[in-house]
Amino acid sequence: MNNRLKELRARKGLSQLELAQKVGVRRETIVFLEKGKYNPSLKLAHDVAKVFGEPIENIFLFDDEAAH
Amino acid sequence: MSRTVATFALAALILLSVGLWAISGGMTGSKEEIGMLAIGLILVGFGVYRGFERVRSAVRKEPYEDELSRRTRTKSASLSYYISLYLWLFIMFMSDRTTMENHTLIGAGIGGMAIIFLGSWIWVKAFGLKDE
Repeated sequence: MNNRLKELRARKGLSQLELAQKVGVRRETIVFLEKGKYNPSLKLAHDVAKVFGEPIENIFLFDDEAAH
Repeated sequence: MSRTVATFALAALILLSVGLWAISGGMTGSKEEIGMLAIGLILVGFGVYRGFERVRSAVRKEPYEDELSRRTRTKSASLSYYISLYLWLFIMFMSDRTTMENHTLIGAGIGGMAIIFLGSWIWVKAFGLKDE
C-alpha cells in the first residue's frame, strides 16, 4: 500500500508532529506511515482523511499488483 | 509519569546492586559472570531508553502509547516467543553436556529471552509492520 501523506501534509503546511497531535498518535507513527513501513488501522486512516478533507482512498492507495 | 519514575528507579537500583556486589568482592571475573553482567547492562540500557522515550513523549504532548507502539510490542513478543522455544531447546541439549549449574542455565535462559525480545523489538522497529 502506498500513500500520499507526505505530499498532502506539505501542501497543508503541517509538520509530522502537528499531524500526529491532530490524529492522536505519536510522531513516529506518522514517520512509519510516510515511509510505507506501517499500514494504519481503519480508524487512523479515517482520522487522517478527516484532517486533509479527502476520502481515504485518495490518501491510501492500495496496490493490487503487490497484493497478489 | 509514575511509570517513568519507576523505570528510572529500577534501573538505578539494578546498577547500584551490581556496583555494590562488584565493590564488595563478590565478582570472581568468570566468563558466566561477565556474560550475565553484560546482559543485565544491556537490559538496563533498554529500560533507560524507554524511560527517555516516555519523557520525550510527555514534552511533545503526544501519547506515550498508540496503535503502532502496541502492535510493535505484540509483534516483538510473539516473535521472541517463537525464537525463545529454540533457545530453551538448546539449553536442554546443553544441560547434559556442560558443567554449569542448573540455576546458571535457567538464569541464562531468562536473560537470553530478554535479549531475544530486545532483538525482535529492534527488528520490528527497523523493518516496520507493513504486511501485518
